Amino acid sequence: MNPHIVPALASAALLLAPGLALAQAAPPPAWAQGRSPEMANSTLAPHAGRLTVTPPDQLPTAQLRVPEGFQVELWAHGLPGARVMVRGPNGTVFVGTRGIGRVYAVREEGNERRVSTFMQGLQQPSGLAIRDGALYISAINRMLRVDNVEQNLSNPQPVDLTSAFNLPEAPHHGWTHIAFGPDGRLYVPRGVPCNICDTDGERYALIASFNPDGTDRRIEARGVRNSVGFDFHPRTGQLWFSNHGRDWAGNDNPSDTLHVNLRRGEHHGFPWCASGWQDPAVSGRLCSEFPPPALILGPHVAPIGTHFYTGTAFPERYRNALFIANRGSWNRERLAGYEVVVVREEEGGRLVQEPFLTGFRDDANQRFLGRPAGVLTMPDGSMLVSDEQNGAIFRISYRR
Amino acid sequence: MRALAFLAAALLAAATPSWAPAWAGDATRGAALAEARNCGACHGANGISPVPLMPSLAGQQAEFLLVQLIMFREGLRPVPAMVEPARGLTDAEIEDLAAFYAALPSGPAATDPRNEALATRGAELSAARNCGTCHRPDYSGQAQVPRINHQREDFLVHTLAEYRDNLRVGMDTQMNGVMHGLTNADIRAIAHYLAHR
Ligand code: HEC
Ligand code: HEC
Repeated sequence: MNPHIVPALASAALLLAPGLALAQAAPPPAWAQGRSPEMANSTLAPHAGRLTVTPPDQLPTAQLRVPEGFQVELWAHGLPGARVMVRGPNGTVFVGTRGIGRVYAVREEGNERRVSTFMQGLQQPSGLAIRDGALYISAINRMLRVDNVEQNLSNPQPVDLTSAFNLPEAPHHGWTHIAFGPDGRLYVPRGVPCNICDTDGERYALIASFNPDGTDRRIEARGVRNSVGFDFHPRTGQLWFSNHGRDWAGNDNPSDTLHVNLRRGEHHGFPWCASGWQDPAVSGRLCSEFPPPALILGPHVAPIGTHFYTGTAFPERYRNALFIANRGSWNRERLAGYEVVVVREEEGGRLVQEPFLTGFRDDANQRFLGRPAGVLTMPDGSMLVSDEQNGAIFRISYRR
Repeated sequence: MRALAFLAAALLAAATPSWAPAWAGDATRGAALAEARNCGACHGANGISPVPLMPSLAGQQAEFLLVQLIMFREGLRPVPAMVEPARGLTDAEIEDLAAFYAALPSGPAATDPRNEALATRGAELSAARNCGTCHRPDYSGQAQVPRINHQREDFLVHTLAEYRDNLRVGMDTQMNGVMHGLTNADIRAIAHYLAHR
């Protein structure tokens, strides 16, 4: 099927769907549309993020668990909202956030590791990418570039690329993860401005790529509800992305997913199909029309950091494996996620996932101690994992 | 009194979040700071605002107050009148202010005449959009989700329109999604309903 005719078909189908025709007269709230009766009397609400410093003695460092032979230690703290991480050529680790609007810089100075607030007052700067010594920052609707960033840490003068990228303005699901592909283009996803709804498939529910200056926009993947983490396979260069399923359809449906984009413009199923589950709120197209996800990650686990391990310090089975930080559920009665999993290819190409960094989720008390969000491979082959709830970064290394 | 304490404990238990930050706010220090920064001039001496468009703060959720004050300090919620009051506040001072206002008893429902037709329309819209899920069925709020009863009607109208028009973006974007597509008349009805219960 030619991907370019999908949007036209999509809107025709949506006009015919009685549920959605109604929804246009009086649209239900973004997140509650299509709520299942099972959840009608729920008082579930998104968890409050923490915007203040968590002192090191309140961090869950001692509760964290990694597989045999690995160790986990506290690497940096005092970065409220720490989320995505990228590393500059001179070793500065930049850390993006959402609610607190900051980008942090972490530098080694002599024997000291220092955290500073590099930029602030941005609307949810959750996307960072590095190229040719420049830092690209995506905030809601905005794209900024700081040239020679590591030479300008104390006085950044961003170039505003917002009008060139011309990203849709609706704030909901408008915070993005960004990354450069092996083709040198900047990949920028755009989630849907609702929970489940009729959207303009040319603007929302997609992953696009651009020249670094914002020209030559191309749609790489369609039918993607909300991807906030992706990476490129170290050998094949293919785009692997995680995706968030919608809320209010029940505790166990749909699942969040991992996808491999095999063709440019490929349609992955939103709003009709998620994790092989036919959404009863929207009729018109069938799951069988879309490529199945590469892996079902679990209901409401909320995959954020989605990162191939490219170091060599970890044992063979982890090299080029995909690490996914599941920030954890809110729209589910029992907690799910709150851990880093590793996805490996078994013989025959079958993908399997197993827990890698655990201990954030306390099942017995239905509490969580932290929310893993970003993953980064360091030059020495160790791995950093950020904890958005505690504003901390943990380092995982392997002891031979 | 004992019955009240029991009720408070029951409410707390019902609202226990799955994340419990180590809460360090001190209401007494918060009271002194509010006095020094003259917060009462705009928000009312007891946190119940007599001033048009100024929100009441009494009995507001502590976590919500904390988040909003940090957003003012960081320039993320652009309200000119709050620039000076929030300038240079430390996290600890903000926790104290939040503890102070959260502990004050919230105000009464609005006393001006209730327009039945308007309130009924507001109740229907609130039910259709499940406002009482995140804000809880009595609209007293939970954690970072604010209390929206016992609030000034004119402020509710103003701020709901700001969410709809993307002029106010919260710590997350939930409220922008919620307000999408509502008319000014819808907003007036919702605000009237909330203020009169
Ligand atoms: C000069 C008047 C003024 C003073 C003084 C003032 N505020 Fe405000 N405050 C406002 C206005 C105006 C708003 C927001 C109204 C809006 O969003 O439209 C506001 C909003 C707030 C809010 C958010 C409430 C909500 O429900 O959204 C908090 C919390 C707050 N102020 C706390 C304080 C504290 C604490 C102080 C003292 C340190 C203070 N204010 C001093 C005018 C004032
Ligand atoms: C998914 C959860 C959710 C739902 C549903 C929801 N809200 Fe909210 N609401 C929030 C959160 C979170 C905030 C705080 C956002 C911020 O930081 O600005 C908020 C803030 C507000 C405020 C600002 C109060 C103040 O004092 O500043 C009002 C008013 C409000 N909501 C009204 C409503 C109404 C009316 C509805 C239904 C039409 C509704 N909300 C539905 C989560 C929700």
